[in-house]
Amino acid sequence: MTAAREQRLQVPASVDALSDVRAFVRDCVADFGGSKRVADDLVQAVDEATCNVMLHGYGGKPGDIDIEAALRDSKIEIRILDRGPAFDPTAAPKRDANAAPAPTRPGGMGVGIELLRALTDEVHHSVRPDGGNELTLIRSLDGATKED
Amino acid sequence: MAMTIDVERLGGTPPVTVVALTGELDASNYEQVIDVVENAYADGSRGLVLDLEQLTFMASSGLFALHSAVRIMRGETPPDPEEGWSALHQMAQDEGQASNVRLAAAQEPIARVLDRTGMLRLFALDGTRAEAIAAIQGA
Repeated sequence: MTAAREQRLQVPASVDALSDVRAFVRDCVADFGGSKRVADDLVQAVDEATCNVMLHGYGGKPGDIDIEAALRDSKIEIRILDRGPAFDPTAAPKRDANAAPAPTRPGGMGVGIELLRALTDEVHHSVRPDGGNELTLIRSLDGATKED
Repeated sequence: MAMTIDVERLGGTPPVTVVALTGELDASNYEQVIDVVENAYADGSRGLVLDLEQLTFMASSGLFALHSAVRIMRGETPPDPEEGWSALHQMAQDEGQASNVRLAAAQEPIARVLDRTGMLRLFALDGTRAEAIAAIQGA
């Protein structure tokens, strides 16, 4: 299978950098051979996750966010690395699919975590040994998400 | 990519403002949309069409702006971003789709995120701007 290929981007923890993050993800998915649908879904997911780090992880304080994208065994892995306080968005409870939109706020993980789950195959969080968070989003290069 | 906002105020009954969004709606610019809708309501508009034909991306902050637009056009204060959308569930249950706030010509990725987040309970999607205006003004 395809050997691992990695690309990375570092942005400041400012919402003005979100457009750069989205462009980076879109370019990576295209480079990895993913469809527009896969790109759309990952762009949405990474925007939500990164925005959450910017607004709530760093809480308006300056900092950097690293985005790493890799292709391994026909799966796209995107890692979002920060130096903010430890926070696990995957610990949020799953919402009833028939419920009305969950309370949230811009960049909050109410709707956001639901989107992450819907748009990807896997979401993993870990606390970095030297501080900060690592959130990994995995999406198969082929086929639809689990909800389709 | 930045977002541009074009505002067109129409006559008729009720007066309708059409807000056309071009580009990407995200956490860096969603407040501009809320400001435009507040101004439209203050100027007497009681119907709102958000023309999404040229919008290529909408983050959850954009969904928050859409929800705020519904509240504003009902004459209510928009929700505080720091307090969340606690009223949204109740509104979706009680009110159904807003009759005077319509979304026109949403591209497929935008329609998908609206559907995924349950926002289509609040908004009807019209195929074109003209259809949305007609739906509000009863033409």
